[in-house]
Amino acid sequence: MSVDNNKDREWKSASGLPLQPFYSERDVPPEHRERMSSDPGEAPFQRGAHPGGYRTKPWRIFQLSGFGKPEDENERIRFLLEQGETGFIMEHDRNTGDHCYNVDHPDVVARREDVGLTGAVMQSVRDIDICMKDLPLATSFGHAGGAVVQHAPFALAGYWTVARHRGLDLAKLPGTGQSDFFLTYLGCVTKQQIPTRDGLRFNADIMEFCDKHLPRWVPVSIAGYNGADTGLNAYQELGALFANAVEYLEEIKRRKTMPLENAARACSGVNFRASMDLFEEASKMRAARLMWVQLLERRYGITNPKVANLRIHCVTAGSRMTYQQPLNNIVRGTVMALAAALGGVQSLGVSGYDEALSIPSEHAHQMSVRIQQILQEETNIQSVTDPLGGSYYVEALTAELVERAWGFFEEIQEQGGFLATLDSGWLHERAAENQSEDFRQQESGEQVIIGVTDHQDDISPFEVDGFMGVDDAYDVALARLQEVRRTRREAGASQALKELERVCRDGSNIMPAMMDALESEVTLGEIGDVYRSVFGDWATPIQT
Amino acid sequence: MNTAGKRILMAKTGLDGHWRGPTVVAKALRDAGFEVIMIGMARPEEVVQASVDEDVDLVGLNIGGHVDVAVRAIGMVRESRPEVPIFVGGVVPPHARRKLEALGVEVYPPGSQLPDIVAAARRLTGLA
Repeated sequence: MSVDNNKDREWKSASGLPLQPFYSERDVPPEHRERMSSDPGEAPFQRGAHPGGYRTKPWRIFQLSGFGKPEDENERIRFLLEQGETGFIMEHDRNTGDHCYNVDHPDVVARREDVGLTGAVMQSVRDIDICMKDLPLATSFGHAGGAVVQHAPFALAGYWTVARHRGLDLAKLPGTGQSDFFLTYLGCVTKQQIPTRDGLRFNADIMEFCDKHLPRWVPVSIAGYNGADTGLNAYQELGALFANAVEYLEEIKRRKTMPLENAARACSGVNFRASMDLFEEASKMRAARLMWVQLLERRYGITNPKVANLRIHCVTAGSRMTYQQPLNNIVRGTVMALAAALGGVQSLGVSGYDEALSIPSEHAHQMSVRIQQILQEETNIQSVTDPLGGSYYVEALTAELVERAWGFFEEIQEQGGFLATLDSGWLHERAAENQSEDFRQQESGEQVIIGVTDHQDDISPFEVDGFMGVDDAYDVALARLQEVRRTRREAGASQALKELERVCRDGSNIMPAMMDALESEVTLGEIGDVYRSVFGDWATPIQT
Repeated sequence: MNTAGKRILMAKTGLDGHWRGPTVVAKALRDAGFEVIMIGMARPEEVVQASVDEDVDLVGLNIGGHVDVAVRAIGMVRESRPEVPIFVGGVVPPHARRKLEALGVEVYPPGSQLPDIVAAARRLTGLA
């Protein structure tokens, strides 16, 4: 039930910022007015990362993809590339990948029908090789998977090992890892996970390894998206993301193993969510670039513009896609993608219109690509950079988001820092409060979702029934696991696994040993067993 | 609103870790006076064990994707506690929803409103 009369409405942004009926010059704070004179590609970058904007660098069309057997995932990725995707993402099955379990682990056996639904099952370098068949690794920006922290070293080492087998020089390999704390410890809390301190160590190890061997690779990508889609609002997402970055930078600073500037550069490829509040979300991307400049300068004295220039990958809010009248989601995807583009992001994924029903069908995936192509090619949006720059409203919103986000950042510091807020459940409480408030507002009519709270009649003749992947992912994965165990050189695998356990215990960088483990065909579950014996399990602060 | 000590078991059949939905639902049920026992991500046999040990009046399953795991859990709960009703929520595609409803299980997909879920819990536990 909606509020029938607009005059009774309390007008505010999605994150609760009170909104005026219109904005004037006087609403832009004086200190922010000074920043408005900078050009795109110039610090503090609120106007854009590059001087030429999308004229010189169109945003990358970058869709989450993966299901079934590695060959099913490979086929879908190649389909997306044919459709015009300009990078690719390799999702691993979450039952096995996130938990570092092989398919014969009792917790996986009990859910065997779920296996392969959220990504391809990849338990050894052989599976990863199948998934990467004929993909343009040297020229295309690849996401190796490994969104969850304990899984990332395996997923990255697997991708790099396959690239090396194909004769590619790792020093020139483009791509990105993820190892996201928001996903791992806030958004999708796994049944078992290494503690946050050990996760921090893994990520610092990956950053160091890339600094030495893969300078073109983005080692880790902090994904505010996963905080936002769990409930954090726009300024909380910003504040928490930079609090996370500070944990990485402090860890590297403590280690003194690589220049801090390189570490900052390694952290500067981040991920935000774009949701439905068009202007607030566009302003958020502008605010993010500005905050990164402020953080690096104030806290670390880093002013090198190559480092302080934040690059943003953006994903449209999956949680805003509705189960009811799913074709409406094509409109929602378009609006959210527009918010991201107006905010000047470098890379974008649009959630499938069937997001609330299933993983994306081929058609939903194609639509996600088409939405972006239509925006890029038909709306003339690429012609002019930061088209909202100078709007009193957007500049005032940008300034207010920055101010509130630093406030939230400070609250996190008062709690002992980002990791402490994950360990204590403080950040989960902030997300849960907002979720409950959303539900309350939907019940009261303050928040309207078309097709859900209002206008529920659906006359669409197109039934969207949800995509269910394939039926044989589990059986094939089990057969392949047995095949690896039967045919690998056992002495080499066992030696590599021992070495991995040694470095896990003694604190040296785990990545060289992980590369050897993948080369020696050590399996995912064996690596997980080492983690569980060395690191134990994170004490989850919430009931999952 | 006397829920008369009615007990609801909430579990999640998958390993995907999306805790947002079940947590919000559990809070709404507690606010309505139910006693909610959350066991989180659980295998079908763990769901059955908890439904017996906790002597619950209703079982709520958060499911997603392939419903075969949920169907197995539902079959096993019915074998040991045939009198206990079951309702489910989560990303349940329409065809899977039809399959579950044919088994006599109520389904609350994304977009379901909390008052409707609370009303269902009252009805299924014989309070309304």
